[in-house]
Amino acid sequence: MRSPLSAPIARDAAIALVIVAVLLAMPLVAPKGLVFVVGTLALHIVFGLSWNLMFGQTGLVSFGHASFFAIGGYFYALVARSFPDLHPLLGFAGAGAFGVVLAIVIGLIALRRSLGVYFAILTLALSQIVYLFLSSFTPLGREDGFTGIRRPVLDMGLFEIDLARGDNYYLFIVLFSTLLCAVVWWVRHSQTGRALRAIQQDPERAAFLGINVAGNRLLAFAIASGVTAVAGALYGPWLQLLTPDVAHWTLSARPILYSLLGGVSSFWGPVVGAAGFAILEYGTRTLHGFSEIIIGSILLAVVLLFPGGILGGLDALRRRSAAPARTAKETVR
Amino acid sequence: MVDYVLSPLFNGLFMAMVVFLFTTGLTLIFGILRVLNFAHGGFFMIGAYVAFSVVRLVGGETSMLAYLAISTVAGIVVGLLGLVVERIIFRPLQKVDEAYSLIATYALLLITEGAVKAVWGVSFHSVATPDLLGGAVFAGDLFMPTYAIFIILVGFASYALLEWVLQHTDTGKLMKSVASDPWMAGMLGVNVPRFYTFIVVLGFFLAGIAGGLLLPNQTLSPNLASTFVIQAFGALVVGGMGNIRGTFLAAIMLCVIDSFGSLLFSEVPGLFFYIAMTAALLLRPQGLIAGARL
Repeated sequence: MRSPLSAPIARDAAIALVIVAVLLAMPLVAPKGLVFVVGTLALHIVFGLSWNLMFGQTGLVSFGHASFFAIGGYFYALVARSFPDLHPLLGFAGAGAFGVVLAIVIGLIALRRSLGVYFAILTLALSQIVYLFLSSFTPLGREDGFTGIRRPVLDMGLFEIDLARGDNYYLFIVLFSTLLCAVVWWVRHSQTGRALRAIQQDPERAAFLGINVAGNRLLAFAIASGVTAVAGALYGPWLQLLTPDVAHWTLSARPILYSLLGGVSSFWGPVVGAAGFAILEYGTRTLHGFSEIIIGSILLAVVLLFPGGILGGLDALRRRSAAPARTAKETVR
Repeated sequence: MVDYVLSPLFNGLFMAMVVFLFTTGLTLIFGILRVLNFAHGGFFMIGAYVAFSVVRLVGGETSMLAYLAISTVAGIVVGLLGLVVERIIFRPLQKVDEAYSLIATYALLLITEGAVKAVWGVSFHSVATPDLLGGAVFAGDLFMPTYAIFIILVGFASYALLEWVLQHTDTGKLMKSVASDPWMAGMLGVNVPRFYTFIVVLGFFLAGIAGGLLLPNQTLSPNLASTFVIQAFGALVVGGMGNIRGTFLAAIMLCVIDSFGSLLFSEVPGLFFYIAMTAALLLRPQGLIAGARL
C-alpha cells in the first residue's frame, strides 16, 4: 500500500498554487453571490481539513467541531468590539490561542476517560452546552446573534489595508485560509503526523514503540481546534454577523461529511468534499425542499458506491485500469 | 414542597417519557444492527406529519380512539418506509466502515427534511389534544396536565412491554442472541438478514407511532427532525449503547436532573441535560447498564 505520507511536497504545493490562483482571480469574473460562497468555502475547507487531522490522521471522532468554530468567531467579535485599537491579526491569533487552551482543558478530561463513540457523544454534549450558552447569553446577542462585526483595517507598519473595501476581505480570507491549510499539511507530514498515524492504526503498538499516545491525541485535538477557531474568527467579519447556529450540531456534521465525501485517507479529501458540497448547495439553492433531497441522495450514492470517498473511488478506478489483475477491495478503508 | 420537588419531578418525568418514546426505535436498531441512525428524527417527524394529515382528512376528529388509531396508522406508514430504507440503505451499509453509516443516515435525514418540505411545505402546524386528554388534574397544589399523565403512563407501559418481550418471549431471546453474536446466530439457523429487516421495520414503526402520539405536544415544522435526536443520543449512550433498560433509566435521570437544574438556573433552559450527560459519560463511560445488549 502506498502511504499518503510519501506525497511529495512539490506536487501538493503545485496543486495548492493553482487552486489559490483560481480563487484569487474569482472576483474578476464571478458575480458577487458566487464570490461570497467561495469565500465561505475557503473557511469550510479549513474547517474540514482540521477535523480530518483528528479523524483521518489520529482516529478521533469529534462531533463538536463547530463549537470551536463558533467560539473562535465570538471570541474575535467580542475582542474586536471591546478593544477597537487592537491589531486585528492579534485578535485572530488570540482566537486561535483561546481555542487551543479550551481544547487542552476539554481534552485533558475527555480524552483520558473516553474514546471512540464516547468521545464523539461527549464532544456533542459539550457543543450543545456551547450552543445553549450562545443562544441565551445577552452580551453575545442571544438568538438574534452578534451583530455589526466590522471588517478591520490591517496596519502593516508602512501602509494600511482597509479590509472593508471592495474584495479585500475576500482576498484576505483566501490567503489566510491557505496559510491555515499549510499548517495542517505541515502537521500531517511532520514527525508528529507520523506518530498520529501510528496511533490511528494501532494505539497499543504505538505506545510500545514509545509514542506518547495520550499526549499526541491531545496535541491533534488542540491543533485542530485552534485552527478551526481562527477560521471561525475570520468568518465573523465575512458575514458581519454571528448567530448561535454556527455552533449547532448540524454544522458539526459538515466537516465529517466533507472528509468522508472526499476521502479521509488523503490530505485533499476534505478539500474535494467541501468543494463538492458547496457546488451541490449552490446548484440547488433555488429548489426548496428538493435541494435537501438532491444533496442527500448524492451523498448516499457516494457512500454506498464509493466507500473511500470521491478520491478513494478515483484511486480505485485508476488502480484497476493500471493493474487489472488486482481487486479494488484493498482500497476500501 | 410542590414548587421545588413535586412539580419539577413531574415535568422531568414527562420530558423523560417523551425522550424515551422517541428513543425506543433508535435503541433497538442500534442495539442489533449497530447503526446509529441520524435519520430517526426525520422518520419520527414523518410519523407526526402523517398523523397530522390523517387528522385533517377525518375533519379534526379528536376522540381518544381516533388519536390512538391515527398514531398506529402513522407507525405503519413509517414502518413501511423502514422496509424500503433497510433494503436500499441499511443492508449495503453492513459491508462498509461504521463511520460511513453516520454520513449515510445523515444524508437520509436531509432527504426526509427535504421530502417533508416538498410534501407539506415549510409553514408551522399544530394539532389539538384529544378532548379526553385536554384537561388537567390537581393533586393538592400540583398541576398535572392530563396529556402529560397519559404520556408518562404510555412511556412506562411501553418500557414494560419491551422489557417483557425481550426477557420472556422467544422473539426477545432471538433479538438478544442476534445482538450479541450475529455470526453465531446465523450458524444456528437464524435468518439474520431477514431478522435485520424485521428489526428496522419495528424500529421505524416505533418512530412513527411516537410521532403520532407526541404530535399534540409539538409544533410541526421541518425542524422537528433535529429537535430530539441529540437528547436521544444522550439517553442511548448514557444508558449503555443500545440497551432498552439503560435508555429508560438514562432518560429519566437526565431529564429529571435537567428539570431540577432549570429551577436553579433558568436563564439557559436545557443546559443541565447536557451537563448531566457529560458527567455521566465521564464517570461511567461504560453506561448505566454495561455489557448487556438490549
